[in-house]
Amino acid sequence: MKPSIEKLAEKGFLFSALLSASITILIFSFMVFFSFPLFKGGDIAAFFTLEWNPCEGGFGIVPMMVGTGIIASLALLIATPFGIGCSALISVFSTGYFGRFLRKVVEFMTGIPTVIYGFIAIFLLVPFIREIFKKGTGMCVLSASIMLALLILPTIILFISDAFNSVPKNYLDAADSLGATPVQKLVYVIIPSAWKGIISALVLAAGRAVGDTLISLMIAGNALQIPRGLSDAARTLTAHIALIIASDYESPEFKSIFVCGLILFFFTTLIILVLRLLGYFKILRNR
Amino acid sequence: MKNIKIRINDLNFFYKKKPVLKGLKGEVEEKAITTIIGPSGVGKTTFLMVLNRLCESIPDCSVEGKVEIKLDGRYIDINSLPLTTLRKKVGIVFQVPNPLPMSIFKNIAFPLKLSGVKDREYIKEKVEQALKDAFLWDEVKARLNDSALELSGGQQQRLCIARAMIMQPEVLLLDEPTSSLDMEAALKITELLKSLKEKCTLIVVSHYTSLTRKISDNVLTLKDGCLEISENSKIVEGLGTVN
Amino acid sequence: MNRFVEYQIKLFCWISGVVLIGAIGILLAFLFNKGISSLNLSLIFGETRLLDGLLLKTEVVDGLFPAIIGTLLLIITSIIWAIPIGVAAGIYLAEYCNIKWKPVFNLMLDVLAGIPSILVGLFGFAVSVFLHKHLSEHIYPCFLISSLALACLVLPYIIRTTEQSLVNLPFSIKTTGLALGASRLQNILFILIPYNLSRIISGIILAIGRCAEDTAVIMLTGVVAMAGIPNSLLSQYEALPFYIFYISSDYNSQEELMKGFGACIILLSICVFLFALSHILKRRAVMRFTTHT
Repeated sequence: MKPSIEKLAEKGFLFSALLSASITILIFSFMVFFSFPLFKGGDIAAFFTLEWNPCEGGFGIVPMMVGTGIIASLALLIATPFGIGCSALISVFSTGYFGRFLRKVVEFMTGIPTVIYGFIAIFLLVPFIREIFKKGTGMCVLSASIMLALLILPTIILFISDAFNSVPKNYLDAADSLGATPVQKLVYVIIPSAWKGIISALVLAAGRAVGDTLISLMIAGNALQIPRGLSDAARTLTAHIALIIASDYESPEFKSIFVCGLILFFFTTLIILVLRLLGYFKILRNR
Repeated sequence: MKNIKIRINDLNFFYKKKPVLKGLKGEVEEKAITTIIGPSGVGKTTFLMVLNRLCESIPDCSVEGKVEIKLDGRYIDINSLPLTTLRKKVGIVFQVPNPLPMSIFKNIAFPLKLSGVKDREYIKEKVEQALKDAFLWDEVKARLNDSALELSGGQQQRLCIARAMIMQPEVLLLDEPTSSLDMEAALKITELLKSLKEKCTLIVVSHYTSLTRKISDNVLTLKDGCLEISENSKIVEGLGTVN
Repeated sequence: MNRFVEYQIKLFCWISGVVLIGAIGILLAFLFNKGISSLNLSLIFGETRLLDGLLLKTEVVDGLFPAIIGTLLLIITSIIWAIPIGVAAGIYLAEYCNIKWKPVFNLMLDVLAGIPSILVGLFGFAVSVFLHKHLSEHIYPCFLISSLALACLVLPYIIRTTEQSLVNLPFSIKTTGLALGASRLQNILFILIPYNLSRIISGIILAIGRCAEDTAVIMLTGVVAMAGIPNSLLSQYEALPFYIFYISSDYNSQEELMKGFGACIILLSICVFLFALSHILKRRAVMRFTTHT
């Protein structure tokens, strides 16, 4: 092949790589660009207040930040024990029929679109929760957290069970030969050995939980308040962005969503950096 | 007076900053079979890969020193030749046969395709000739379009030799070509190598078995990063079969 | 640890598994129960006749057809952007990239992969606002912007799959071509890519699945509830996931609600099919690795 074609091809590949990498930078720039007037005007402090009342000039997004925090944390709280339990089941206790079936179900779950989880939840879970609390519409923090937990479970389970399976076989053999029961093996050998993988899975799931839009948009109630209980409705940063998008272009209301975007961007970058420290990406690249 | 095909002077090879070949010096006779023996892990495969600069594909490697090959009567530094040209002049066959996932015909014709040869008749002729040279033609002539992966180990190795020979290289490097084969297949390969001697210079890395003893013209021992010429008799007495 | 505690732990694990399967089972049963009755041609084509609707002679106003076509067109255009750039970038990272720059590229692409989809949608929206102000008054969030934004969303998947498939090859495969005198480009085009085609395609299918199911991005970049089939790149359009979302908050009758469930079943089938296909191709690629010694 002519050397000129080779050089051209190499330049083409480089260009594609640069283009892809620059998208990240572009996203960041646009967020900054659109929120910049606010930084300049010194109004930025106004964003971190509690009142969201556009008509009266209140653009505090703290309720949304709290909403995101509470719903995501609760979802993680619910999902983690079940996630570890299911992973343990798949990798340790039931490597036969049931375990394989469970894994297939979990893999199937990764293919379910988020909007469908939300849709079904509205007509199945929400009335149920409404009955339990006997007040409100049922669209609240609890409903959203439960569905969000279901959404992030596959990520947690698949990743943790991979981590469990990567424990070096000689550790397991050593435990077996000393007469350990499966539970003892799990608690004393497997979990300590795979702790990095477990934390990575949870961090990854946290990222997904914070970044998800539809579940909280459809079932958290979108109320502009700081939720004080499980049955209170709340709004997340992501849902807020989706809801406000219909406004006009110049109002501070509109610019507030870019500040939300910036916050989400920083949070994502933080998660990525934490995952890097945990060596998550090394594991992923060696698969 | 022997004709020398390859001259090596002060060759140093470092893997991950540790020296593997140190100040290597040697000469390889033209149109002869030179066998290189030595303890396991001493760097024989590495040495072969320096000769066709395949070592540059291994990460964490560095090479210093001069290797010259005689082309058209002149000695040329291999670093001054374009990589693709060098590799067409210096072919290599590995320990484990590596046929490409294509038909037998396409495998052999592949180097021609790389060079941009398009004439179908010419390609067919060359493929047939290469297969004949590799003692494989009779066994595969009826199934040239079958996948090469379906051949037996010995046949795959002969296919790799045919594929390496089609560009009529001046040097053929072979890294323990018979170690993954059974006795009968190994015998066939050894006979094949003897016949190839008249076409090109052969460098074979091998265990010094009875087979290689029969066909080798020269034997070099690679020890402690250096090459030593061994007299046939010395081998039989001192080292025996090296594993 | 005494036996009682051990028993508790084991029991808990089994309960987790059963609860999970039960939850999904209930969800799916509920979905099919409600939606199966509305799965007929009128769900898709409404009052228009099948052939008229298919050949675009009459506009379908009360069926899912425009939404399905919208989703299909969206997928096709998005991957038209994403595949060439993604595969080329993956090749660059695997074969040509300087060791010094790799961590930078990796960081950028990892962040891109982790960015919430709503943020990508917001980016698309911001781009359209920017173009509206500075380029042409006619540019609003539209089909083109959506497909570009979706391409940005799925680009990391394709890049990662391509890069990993090329990097995790045994040394013998990587160098066979080179040893025969192939140039780097020839090696990539004639040997490495064809060898890894299954893996690369599996990554592309995963990207397609992602395009089909995404709602957040398209919500911010041009999808609407009622628009018919898009007749230009700059027009607005409908899509299946958005239809489902819209129906959930704004349905006027039981019948419409049932249509929503029907739409769910259709979307679910498409996505599950695509993910399963991607899975199968990856398995086949792995098998090929192990049989080729």
